[in-house]
Amino acid sequence: MSYSIEHIKNMVHPTKIHRTIYTDPELYQLEMERIFEKTWIYVGHESQVANPGDYLTMNIGRRPAIMVRDSKSNEIHVLHNQCTHRGAKVAGKTCGNARAFRCCYHGWTFKTDGKIIGMPHKTGYDGTDISVDNPDLNLKAIRSENYRGFVFANLCDDGPDLEGFLGDAATSIDNMIDRSPDGELEIAGGVLRYRHKCNWKFFVDNLNDTMHPMVTHQSVDDACQAYMDELPEGVTRSKESEIISPFGSSYKMFDDMGVSVGHNGHAYTGGKTSIHSSYSEIPGYLDAMHANYGVEKTEEILSINRHNTIYYPSLTIKGAIQAIRIVRPIAVDETEIETWTFRLKGAPDKMLQRTMLYSRLINSPSSMVGADDLEAYVRLQEGLSSGGSEWVDMSRFVDREQHKEGNMIRAIGTSDISLRNQYQAWLEYMSASKDEQEVA
Amino acid sequence: MTTQTPQIEKITEFLYQEADLLDQNDLGSWIDLYTDEGTYWMPVERDQVDPLNHISIFYDDKPMMQIRKHNLIHKRAPSKEIEIRSSHLIGNVKIKSYDEKTGLCTVTSNFQAIVYYGEQTLFAGTYQHDLLIKNGGIQIQQKKVVLINCDASHGTIISYI
Repeated sequence: MSYSIEHIKNMVHPTKIHRTIYTDPELYQLEMERIFEKTWIYVGHESQVANPGDYLTMNIGRRPAIMVRDSKSNEIHVLHNQCTHRGAKVAGKTCGNARAFRCCYHGWTFKTDGKIIGMPHKTGYDGTDISVDNPDLNLKAIRSENYRGFVFANLCDDGPDLEGFLGDAATSIDNMIDRSPDGELEIAGGVLRYRHKCNWKFFVDNLNDTMHPMVTHQSVDDACQAYMDELPEGVTRSKESEIISPFGSSYKMFDDMGVSVGHNGHAYTGGKTSIHSSYSEIPGYLDAMHANYGVEKTEEILSINRHNTIYYPSLTIKGAIQAIRIVRPIAVDETEIETWTFRLKGAPDKMLQRTMLYSRLINSPSSMVGADDLEAYVRLQEGLSSGGSEWVDMSRFVDREQHKEGNMIRAIGTSDISLRNQYQAWLEYMSASKDEQEVA
Repeated sequence: MTTQTPQIEKITEFLYQEADLLDQNDLGSWIDLYTDEGTYWMPVERDQVDPLNHISIFYDDKPMMQIRKHNLIHKRAPSKEIEIRSSHLIGNVKIKSYDEKTGLCTVTSNFQAIVYYGEQTLFAGTYQHDLLIKNGGIQIQQKKVVLINCDASHGTIISYI
């Protein structure tokens, strides 16, 4: 079928959405076209391309791209990873260092700013416009911007700049950076890639779903408790249980944690408290913070305790634990989640080690917590292909227990407001296509 | 008294027993094979040397193994509602080093493990067992599991491999 704007509008109601939003391959292609290829998508952190010629490759929606630090000017470019000759990807690896990109097929060669500099045996093109002087043959640049080290790219040349897109939700990135005694972050310690056999939106929906932990993660919390109950008197609990146990927190804790939503589908859970706010102190960290910020400012920085922040649709961050996850859709029922971790520059190594422990326990393919979440997503994917129930509910605390706070709306933590906010953004993106409107 | 290099047959038999315990889902007995400081490590990169400042797929100490044991038998663990079945094969067992003073013996082997949980997954790679051989007994100081596709995108890895 072909979706009219009218049809799409009928799929998103204020407190419920239609099940096929998660299951229809055609809608998935439309999402790639109208969301992932139309808005700001996170591509990487500047510290991942620290040296001239360093590059990363990724897909922006369905389009292969390269983020590269110019070997001459040191600027960061985001380019289409596609040779302008026959169209092959010029960079094949996920990361590396290159003085130039040379296509493996016929050897057309491009500088790190995309400029074409070579094509073998070029006399064959004499008398045509195929020449290294033709700027149309450069690797095409993709609009990109850097927010305090976080590089986003946008395949669409129209629309707001990056700061306008992020809005007040950018304060979560600010707080993560502020948590570095030197005020700087650096990607450290590699990446985890976790393959989810489900639609990308289940993962994003779940980030600020605070009604599932005590059900989905009850077994992990109980397991932690059972382990602690076996400990002999006087033995302190392990560092693992400090991270896992909060996932079994009470409904009240999640109510009190609060949730804030902004425009474009962005949102964060937590505020002054979150599941990260009762971690033990890492020796030396406070001293380093005090030395650089003073006591008062340090307290202010560390009093902000957000859980997940969603930069809809592609990036989610945990500022208080310095881990981020990137959402890379692959198909309507397949998604890759990348987990990266940051070193807080100027902080003791133990901070990074706790972040690594956290990511292993919660975000790794071996995680007990993540595995139970994924089990729920897979059952959602399978369940929603049934027409037994056509609608997906998101009505908790609708228009209740919420107030305006700056440019965001703050609500009770177990409200479904983050879901409602995401699907309003989804609807705005999906129904904004000019071409489609003309047809409809 | 003379100290002998451990017999390869004895070491191999120990590795088989360890794998059997995994195949039987007997995590309690499996954990008992480890020393108190014992660790199970599955790095995410083939040449990874640091389990602390670099991410790994697993890096479990004994408390973490205990938590997993309790989770495995919990009645309400959504991802563990059906039986996990596995079949491990171990070969090419080699003793790489032995320190008779400390009793520390490093053993490498190749493995293939088929895990069936709703669908069948094949894992393959190398093991490195750091074993502590004392008073005729063998304990595991560290088991390091390097998957040949350690840096790939993985679905849930539901059990120790």
